[in-house]
Order: sequence, then C-alpha cells, then structure tokens
Amino acid sequence: MPDQAHSPYLPIPMHVLHAYYESTDRSLKTLELSFDNPQDARDFFAAFNPGQFCLLSVFGKGESALGVASATWEGDFVRFTAQKMGSVTTALHELKPGDSLGMRGPLGNGFPLEDWKGKDLVIIGGGCAFSTLYALTKHLHHPSNRGDYGKMTVIYGTRTSGLCMYKQDIAAWHQRDDMEVHQAIDVPENDWLHHVGYVPDVVKEVKPSPVNSVAVVCGPPIMTKFTLPALVELGFSPEAIFTSLEKRMKCGIGKCGRCNLGPNYICKDGPVFSLAELNSLPADL
Amino acid sequence: MNLILKKDELNTLLTAWRQDYEVYAPQSLQKFTHFLPLQDGAEPAFNKAHNTRVPPKALFLPTSEALLKFTRFGGYEQVPTETAPRLIFGIRPCDAHAVTMLDTVFEQERYTDPHWQARREATVTIGLGCHEPCQTGFCTTVGSGPFNHAGLDAILTDLGEFYLVETLTEQGGRLFSQLDAASEMQAAQAYELQQAAQAGMPIAFETEGLKQKLDQNFVSPYWEEVSRSCLSCGVCTFLCPTCFCFDIVDETQRNERVRNWDSCMFRTYSLEASGHNPRPSRVERTRQRLSHKFTYWVDQINQIGCTGCGRCVRYCPVGLDIRAMLRKANQLPSEVAHA
Repeated sequence: MPDQAHSPYLPIPMHVLHAYYESTDRSLKTLELSFDNPQDARDFFAAFNPGQFCLLSVFGKGESALGVASATWEGDFVRFTAQKMGSVTTALHELKPGDSLGMRGPLGNGFPLEDWKGKDLVIIGGGCAFSTLYALTKHLHHPSNRGDYGKMTVIYGTRTSGLCMYKQDIAAWHQRDDMEVHQAIDVPENDWLHHVGYVPDVVKEVKPSPVNSVAVVCGPPIMTKFTLPALVELGFSPEAIFTSLEKRMKCGIGKCGRCNLGPNYICKDGPVFSLAELNSLPADL
Repeated sequence: MNLILKKDELNTLLTAWRQDYEVYAPQSLQKFTHFLPLQDGAEPAFNKAHNTRVPPKALFLPTSEALLKFTRFGGYEQVPTETAPRLIFGIRPCDAHAVTMLDTVFEQERYTDPHWQARREATVTIGLGCHEPCQTGFCTTVGSGPFNHAGLDAILTDLGEFYLVETLTEQGGRLFSQLDAASEMQAAQAYELQQAAQAGMPIAFETEGLKQKLDQNFVSPYWEEVSRSCLSCGVCTFLCPTCFCFDIVDETQRNERVRNWDSCMFRTYSLEASGHNPRPSRVERTRQRLSHKFTYWVDQINQIGCTGCGRCVRYCPVGLDIRAMLRKANQLPSEVAHA
C-alpha cells in the first residue's frame, strides 16, 4: 500500500519566528520560519542545498513558490523574502510571529556547489531574485565552506536603494577581505556611494575574469536576458554560466505540468540551469 | 491463455465480480457513454464502436480531488484516498495504454503521487479490443493499436456469440478461471480478426522524423496557421487520455485544498504573478500541446505521448484535427543532421 502519510502534497507545519519589511516601500517582507516538529527540521536541513525553493502555504489562500534565503548554519529556521503580488503573498505579508503556515520543500536541484569547488565565483543578482544568491553567499561565508572556493565577487542591483534587500548584512560584506561587493541602483540618488546603472552594464564595468570562474545570475527576465550575453562576451563559456529560472508552479514536483521548458520541469529538473543547458532547450520562458 | 466467454454468461460473471470489486463499465448517460459503477441489472454499453467521452484516466486522476482539509486552528488533516478494490471492464486498449504512460509521471521514484498509486494498485483492468476501426482514431500511427496489451490484465476479442479472452497477468487469469479454454480454431479466428482490425486502421501521418521537425520549427509560422481557429476551450486536453495537468486551489467554502484538471490551452495556465505569460496566445499554447505530445514525451520516455484515441478530433467544437495538423507538420522544412 502506498505511503499516504508521506504525500509530497502535504505541507510541513511551520510557524513564523520573525517577520520584517525588507524594502522601504514595504513591497518586500522577510519571514523567518521555524519548524513545529524537530524531526521535520532535521529532514529539511539534511536535504537542503542553496538555490532550492519551497512552496509556502497559507491555508485557505493557497501556495506560492519562494526561494530559500538562508544557509543551514544560520540556525534552525528557514528565511524567505516575499514580494506582495497576489492573494497568497498578501496573506504572507500579514503573518505575525507565532502564526502558523505550511511549507513544502526543499524542492528543485539548487546550485551545483560540488562542481564549483576550487573555482572563483561571480554572483550576479537583481531585485528580489537575489534571495537564493543571498543564501548561496551566506553558505559560502561559513569557514568550513569558504576555503573550498576561490575569489568571490557579488554584483547586486536594484531599482532604488530602498529596494535593496538584506541591507545590514550587505553593508558588512563591504568590510570583508574575502569578497568583493558591487552594488548598483538604476537611477542616481543622493549619498549613494556605489554604481549607478543596469546590472548588465555594471557587469561589463566590473569585468570579472572568466579564468577558472563560474558566474551565477538570478534576476528579472530582462536583466538575465542582457547579462548572459555580457558574460559570454567577457569570455565565460556557456557551461560556466548558471541561472535560476522561474515559471508559474503548482505542485513543485513535476506533475502538474505548467512549468515545463521543453522536456524539463523547472521545479524538478531546475530551477538552476547552465546556459549550455538552456541553449539546448526551446525558448519558452 | 485463451478462454471462451459466452455473451449470455457475461452478466453472471460481472455479478460474481461485484462481490469482490466495484465494477466500472461503459454505460449510456445522455448522448454519451461513461465509465460508471455497474448497478444491479445494468449491462455494459458496448453498442458503439468507440470510446467513452471522458477517458478512464478520470478513475485514477479524478477531475476534482481534495488533497487536504483545513482544520479550525490553522492546521490541516489529510484526506485519505479510497483503496477499495476496483475492476474496470471494457476499457479500450488506447486508454489502457495511456494510463501506463501516466504511470511514468505519477510513479516517478523521487516523487510518487500516493493518490494515483493507491488507485492503480487497487484496480484490475479488462480491455475490450476494437474489432471495428473507429473513425477518428489513429492508434496504429502512434505506436498503440486496437488490440494493444499495455496496461491490461486481460483483453477480450468480440467474436459474435462469444468473447475470446486472453489473460495477460496472474490477476487477470484468476478472474476468468472458471472459463473453458478456446479451441485452436477459435483462437485463430480471433487472431485473424485482430490482424484485420490492425490493418484496417489507416496511417494518419508520418511519425518518422516528426519530432525533429517540430523541434527545429519551434519558431515558425506553422503554429499560427494550425492554431488560427482554436477557441482555447480546452476540450482536446480535458478529454485526452494522456493529458494530466492539474491546478491546486484552496476552496474556502469547502475548507479543502483541491486539485482540479487544468489545461495548457488556457491563458491563465502559465500566467505569472508579474503579469508575464510565456504562452500568451493560442499560438504558443497550441505549440505546447503538440510539442508536449510529439517531442517532449519522446525525450522523456521514448514514446509519443498520444495513443490515437481520437477524442480531440471528435469533440473539437471547431473541427481542428490533430491528424491534419501533423500531416502539415510533415511538410515542414528540416535540417538533415550530417553524420
């Protein structure tokens, strides 16, 4: 008899530990969630890989796919940043510490961290899609991981400085001597000390070296569209460029059909693909 | 094992099976036939040479099904799947074959769907071969056939006064253990009929090289041409035995999270929260439907994701015919790969 108790459609019972606005316009809110049952936490962290996502459930409202924005070493919680868009994310924004919700995951493949060992990493993000790259950077910051990788460069652009996420942490990154951080905003603002311009242009300006490096890009489609060729122009091979894709999803486990990209499902076979893989798939994004 | 089932003994057998199984058989309802639980005195409706309107995939993936029920204090309870033994009698080979394809989706190692699996394990399927070709079907074109054995525990061949029963699994054998063996002449007669039925199905389009042509013409005016009269009604996908897409929604009035059949032919199917839609018009959606069946399934399981049941042709309100669409695809230009 099939094991119905372990149905992949059943959310893990969670509760809100912390909830705070991430952007000054209150469109982005971060939720740190804790597990109701300790065994669920052990199972989750044993399976988790940066770059994976979860489906958050507000019962009665529905489910929404969000990238995990925390590293395992940070503690027994899982962080997400939700942009208020529809009914589920609006309900997520209304949650307060102690409130219950459901979570399914971790889902998807995550970043191929094993393959990247010994290489320099160029991490390029735009807008709220930076969340999984934040998880990646946090993961790499841990002393037991940092030594496995070479030089680390982070390029992060947002429309305005107010929309920049994880501000305190990123401000502290500028002080670190084991990484290089480039922040950008689209239009000039007073007292802004970093780059002004779109991410693809900042990438061209920073000119990260393609030698023994991999680049990983997460951002809105328009940013990704122009950043990937910029990297190719800098000499990165399609096998060394990675991006994380998104499409509308329901099941998260390759059954409901809608997130397919050719024969691949973004939820199950992605969300992380190399440019080489993308080049062999139909342009159906 | 070949056995003989006299037609006037069928009802006795069905009644006996109903002791142990809920027996589903095609029955007339309004203008169509449907797979419904057999009641006392009812007989299977095999008067038409074609399929039920709704494919029997619905017995494994219901049109609407609760996944969980919300409780009062922010939690939920699981809604268990019924697993009482069921017997499907008179399923056509194309539909049984389609169920085995859906197994590759719902019974993947990493994420098995327990609802699908529970129903599959609780179900025995007895097929009825199609000795008369149906008008819109094209099973032999796509690798299935009027007497295909895939997904069946036993298959029946209609020989007039009686059925020749071929048992295909142990379970199928047990169901017919009371029957007499067929004579060699009867078996030969059935074989001949099966061969004639197979030969009687015309080849509807060329499948050789079709995947490559569709792959290479992902961007092509072809898609606009074949989708022009489509209404996006979705009937081709709802009634398709190999379509499996579903939506998951929270039904607050029922306090349940429900999965409902969905269709890639609908605009909202792939519409994202940002307003972006990768498949905004019927052109992209038609491309998705045909590409899924004739290229993506081939990539995934090396089989065309269509068993040629012909429902999409029969029920399309504007007469779009997938066979004509694919004959047109046969004419598309293709680059020959140089070895």
